[in-house]
Amino acid sequence: MSELTHASAPKRFIGGQLLGSSQLVLCIILAVLCIAISIAAPQFYSEANIIAILRQCALVLIVASGMTMLIITAEVDLSVGASLAFVGCIGMAVLNSTHSLALGMLTALAFAGGVGLFNGLVVTRLRVNSLIATIGTMMMLQGGVYLFTREAVQNHNQLASFTDLGAGYVGPVPVPVILAALIFVVAYVTLRFTTLGRYLYAVGANEKAVRLSGVRSERLKLFAFVVTGLCVGVAGMILSSLMNAGQPTAGRGFELTVIAAVILGGTSLLGGRGSLFGTLLGVLVLKVIDNGIIILGWNQDLQMVVPGVVIILATYLDIIRNRANVR
Amino acid sequence: MSVDFLHPGEGAAIEKDVPALELRGIDKRFPGVVALDNVDFTLEPGKIHALMGENGAGKSTLIKIMAGVYGKDAGTIRMRGREVDIKSPRDSLKEGIKVVFQEIALISEFTVAENIFLEGYPTGKTGSIDWKKIRADSAALFNRIGFNVDPAARTGSLPVSQQQMVEIARALAHEARVVVMDEPTSSLTPNEVSLLFTVIRRLASLGIAVVYVSHKLDEVFEIADTVTVLRDGRHISTKPVGEHTNDTLIQDMIGRRIDNLFPRQRGAAGSKIALSVEKLSTAKKLDDVSFEARAGEVLGFFGLMGAGRTELAKAIVGYDPITAGTISVDGQRLTPHDTRTGVRLGIGLLTEDRKSEGLMGELPVYQNASLASLGAFARMGFVDTAKEHRAVQDYVDRFRIKTPSLFQQVKNLSGGNQQKVLISRWLMRGLKVIVVDEPTRGIDVGAKSEIFALIDRLAGEGLAVVMMTSEMPELLGLADRIAVMCEGRLTAIMSRDEATQEKILNAAIG
Repeated sequence: MSELTHASAPKRFIGGQLLGSSQLVLCIILAVLCIAISIAAPQFYSEANIIAILRQCALVLIVASGMTMLIITAEVDLSVGASLAFVGCIGMAVLNSTHSLALGMLTALAFAGGVGLFNGLVVTRLRVNSLIATIGTMMMLQGGVYLFTREAVQNHNQLASFTDLGAGYVGPVPVPVILAALIFVVAYVTLRFTTLGRYLYAVGANEKAVRLSGVRSERLKLFAFVVTGLCVGVAGMILSSLMNAGQPTAGRGFELTVIAAVILGGTSLLGGRGSLFGTLLGVLVLKVIDNGIIILGWNQDLQMVVPGVVIILATYLDIIRNRANVR
Repeated sequence: MSVDFLHPGEGAAIEKDVPALELRGIDKRFPGVVALDNVDFTLEPGKIHALMGENGAGKSTLIKIMAGVYGKDAGTIRMRGREVDIKSPRDSLKEGIKVVFQEIALISEFTVAENIFLEGYPTGKTGSIDWKKIRADSAALFNRIGFNVDPAARTGSLPVSQQQMVEIARALAHEARVVVMDEPTSSLTPNEVSLLFTVIRRLASLGIAVVYVSHKLDEVFEIADTVTVLRDGRHISTKPVGEHTNDTLIQDMIGRRIDNLFPRQRGAAGSKIALSVEKLSTAKKLDDVSFEARAGEVLGFFGLMGAGRTELAKAIVGYDPITAGTISVDGQRLTPHDTRTGVRLGIGLLTEDRKSEGLMGELPVYQNASLASLGAFARMGFVDTAKEHRAVQDYVDRFRIKTPSLFQQVKNLSGGNQQKVLISRWLMRGLKVIVVDEPTRGIDVGAKSEIFALIDRLAGEGLAVVMMTSEMPELLGLADRIAVMCEGRLTAIMSRDEATQEKILNAAIG
């Protein structure tokens, strides 16, 4: 999509379909990171480490897939981190009392989708700015989870299928990575090839124009909020499987990582511009940095500092590139 | 800041013979575009100099160079004979050049007085800001331009016309020698325009050189002493306004003659009623409006600012809510009252505000054109882009939309071409009634006649065209019937033959 929006360059080289030029900057950053880290620490390229990186990407990518759609419609959801923790606790509690993974999953999805629906309704019906609305939801959820449980909800069943959700493998590939890949592909295809995807971009680019064209713009935004919620539902269950418990303290700052990845991927907070492929690169860059800091044995607090620097740098490079393109 | 604006002409006497500002051989290139090519532009003190040209002619580039927003690639700038180097807006202000851009550059949360002295507040003995002096000086400034604005008013609460006055007052506070007005009347009412003209003449009488950038020929004839025309980045002519006629000016601007601005190709309107509006009222504006529009006719709506034309346009397509009345398209009621139903029944709005309600600026031309008819290009929810591109390309060819490719971001097109893209959006959808609101706002003279021809063609193809306009020539040139509004009510409907300017204006005043 974004190669279309950046279409001032008439040449469309092979692969140009995937690589808008802002993605090119990211690809270069990613390549430089990988090369630099592997020179300093050759174990970076071990199979075990690569799989570890992918596994860490999975959670972020799942939620970032929904978030990309949402930000493309010019809205944002800051409650995903708080919702992630709450979903884990509720899903685990239901799992404990019903001994059914299906029911646990369904409850988690229903809850997280419900949070998305709530956010969406507040934004589209009450016309509260989404930044404010979802900060409100975030606070409600952060407090609410402690009303629900003061401590971690332990896994009493040890259902094998539930453990597999986070820790299982299909061949060499972790289950969360497969789930993330599935969600990513569905979201990618939706955004890139369907009328629905087109409308999502259109709503972000100019909501009034979309309404005047006879399309119900509020529903599109509502849809994006609910999808983001559902993604949180999946991610929350994976997280509680990985931790073998529902942790009310999990997910702190998760929303920032997700949004950072989306923005890093070139999606505009103003809406109408962005791509899921960029988001994928954004997630990879952030997680490779995390991983590099660990295997290089650096101070772990740098895991926050370095991505901060990278976001500013990447955005700045993007501005420079735009300036070169546009007269 | 040395504030001696209360005593004009004392510090530096204005020498009549030396140009206030002289630009020589100005070149400006952007990647791939020569925006200005060896342009000369000379301003005499105390004269009003109109700068004209189509979009892309180089007007904005030239005034941005004066304002220090852009640097020049070649050429010299002299202020009263002395060569100056303008590298930033700050330099420009310091040299006494004040540009009032279309987008007002005031801080809306500040008071008028605070805005005027933004660049340097006068301070008292203790270094604290001397508010009393600020208020008094502001009032004195307004006195000089003969206009009254409360210096203590919050700037954002003022109408655009008064904010312009604040900008002009600011120019005086800076002892400006040159004031540039960039299309200052585009959002003013006729009354406000005449006030603005009074103020502009006052500026000239103070010895200030005024640059008046505008599209509107009649305004230029009314206010300017001299006219300079640019075209494609080149200087075409500089003449006293008296040596120009409408035709010569248009010819200079577009490089060719337009024989007939309103070519009529279509036949007589049919008798089938395509749109029927009965007793329509809205909460804020419209009051019991009833009319019908037939297939194949152009029904023109005229009214002064605030008469309710735009409100009517938005209500009848289902965009804005109504409180009473019915709308029927081809006999089918528009209920529920929303745009989805409207578009389904075949009524759509070509908005007056292209940027905020029509275009998706960041998105490519083809996506803008196909927005209302995506469903027609979909198979099982997937867009058949090949089919879509073919359809859009067809319209690009038919309407001669000038764009390097279908993938160009629509914001990079000229106003006229953007309007054609938006008309394509509706034609691809297939409408029975199209409501066009100020269809030529912000569009070049040359492109205007093309838009008129398109509207004529739409009616010729059997659409009912409801056209909202504040331009009398447009109304008389295009409409089959003329409806006049005043304060939310319909005050007259007449056929083109029985319409005269007097009749229309009388009905518009109410």
